[in-house]
Amino acid sequence: MLEEIREKLKSQFGLESESYDTNMLLVKCDRNQLRDLMRFLKENGFNYPHTVSVVDYTPKGEGFQANYVLENLNSKKFVMVRVSIPEEDLTVPTVSDIFPPLQPHEREAWEMFGVEFIGNPRLEVMLLPEWAEGWFPLRKSYDFKKHRKPSKEKK
Amino acid sequence: MGNSITTAGYTFVVEESKEISGEDLGLLQEKLLQLNWGVQHPASGPMRLKVWVDGDEVVKVDPDIGYVLRLLEKLVEYRTWQNAIVNVERACFIDNFGTMTGYSIAAEKIAGVEVPKKADYVRTILCEGGRIVSHLIGLGSFVGVMGVHTPMQWALIAREKFLDAFEVYSGQRIATASIVPGGVRYEPTGKFIEKMVSAVDFLEKEFIPRYGEVFIDNPTLKVRSEGIGVVPKEKAVELGLAGPALRASGIPSDIRKDYPYAAYGELDFKVVTKEEGDCYARYLVIWEELIESAKIIRQAIEGFPEGEWRTKFPLKVPPGEAYVNVEWARGCFGFHLISDGGTGPYRLKMRAPSFANLWAMPELMKNIKLADVPVIFASLYMCHGDIDR
Repeated sequence: MLEEIREKLKSQFGLESESYDTNMLLVKCDRNQLRDLMRFLKENGFNYPHTVSVVDYTPKGEGFQANYVLENLNSKKFVMVRVSIPEEDLTVPTVSDIFPPLQPHEREAWEMFGVEFIGNPRLEVMLLPEWAEGWFPLRKSYDFKKHRKPSKEKK
Repeated sequence: MGNSITTAGYTFVVEESKEISGEDLGLLQEKLLQLNWGVQHPASGPMRLKVWVDGDEVVKVDPDIGYVLRLLEKLVEYRTWQNAIVNVERACFIDNFGTMTGYSIAAEKIAGVEVPKKADYVRTILCEGGRIVSHLIGLGSFVGVMGVHTPMQWALIAREKFLDAFEVYSGQRIATASIVPGGVRYEPTGKFIEKMVSAVDFLEKEFIPRYGEVFIDNPTLKVRSEGIGVVPKEKAVELGLAGPALRASGIPSDIRKDYPYAAYGELDFKVVTKEEGDCYARYLVIWEELIESAKIIRQAIEGFPEGEWRTKFPLKVPPGEAYVNVEWARGCFGFHLISDGGTGPYRLKMRAPSFANLWAMPELMKNIKLADVPVIFASLYMCHGDIDR
């Protein structure tokens, strides 16, 4: 099943893929290819999206990374689609119209990392309080101690 | 509703702005009333549902979450591999074993550590214990939102026996911090097994027959929940439902079976599915899974192997990453764990099943009666701890 998808990806998109786990395939793709690739995967049975996991690699100078995890509920296989996002241009096209369940996940990724999902209909703060909009607390550059309430001095 | 509107904690707010969440509803706007269902409401934890009603009909529902945000994913980055479990288990206090197991498996995958067989069996027993505890509360609160509070009390009595077993095992009843990367933290003593067996005995001999007689196949309950919030098979996938809600729509998705972890590959159990996809089907899935879980615990105790229960887990883990799914009580819980070679996780993303169910809920709550809102809400079986994390 995964071998088939791997060959199709190679022939249709020219993308190399590697096995991530025994039941998961990892595909690295470019931002402009993302929507076509997601549509292709949905047509090929990977119609159950799990999540969008953004990773901040800025301390290593590699920008951000967005990982989309999709499952095929019939064959129980997973595909992880990986997109690199440079630090200067934190935008990625939305896939929330292809996979509606990913809309809140993109919204969460936006409020925690500041990655803008272009075309997502609802990029508003969800988990954070409204006054904390734009703090992006899951970024590595976020200083946790700065926002800590001052504790009482020990006597 | 069971309770009158005032005691159930409703407040009435007349909507002043002309738009509802960016959507212009036109003339309908004039006669709409916005109800705040929460922040504290009897069905579950702190969460606010904005419910727009036209008379008795619900027009639109919008969840407002974030009241129990602890930013666990960030806190984990400040911990070592071992003690990150205290943050991971707090995703939801009711079933903390599932989340700890998932995190530990992910960490072991990156580090390349093989866990002894005995640890796998203890994990399985604890995970199923956690699932039973969680399902008991789920059953109780489902009937509870309709105004009958007896089943919740019965469920809590049965739950108490399991908490006693956890206490004997780890010294804590709820936040046990007992599953760590490299195995389990404490030796499974004979006393623990004894307590677990007596808890399962109570569940199978006392709770299940008594509860099953009264609250399963109950005509009043069926009137309230059959045919309400129906999700057909295709729609369940499209909405991204997870866990018991997905299985109630006829999709046999269970990570324990599809991709066995811990000792599940060696045990015999069946995946509970229902075809109807309504609230009652979701309730029955939880009920039957409870019975299955009790059987799994019995099997695991029977086949309990000898040997070590913990191996050494390195202080520093080589760079790498893993994505691990576990079947948690409320559905498939995903962990995307990344190591940069340090003494603690570089990043942990937790994919929570309740989060998926929550955002599928507004779609289910279109054109229903106001009285059905709590029934659908409780049948989706969500926990606020893992919605917000």
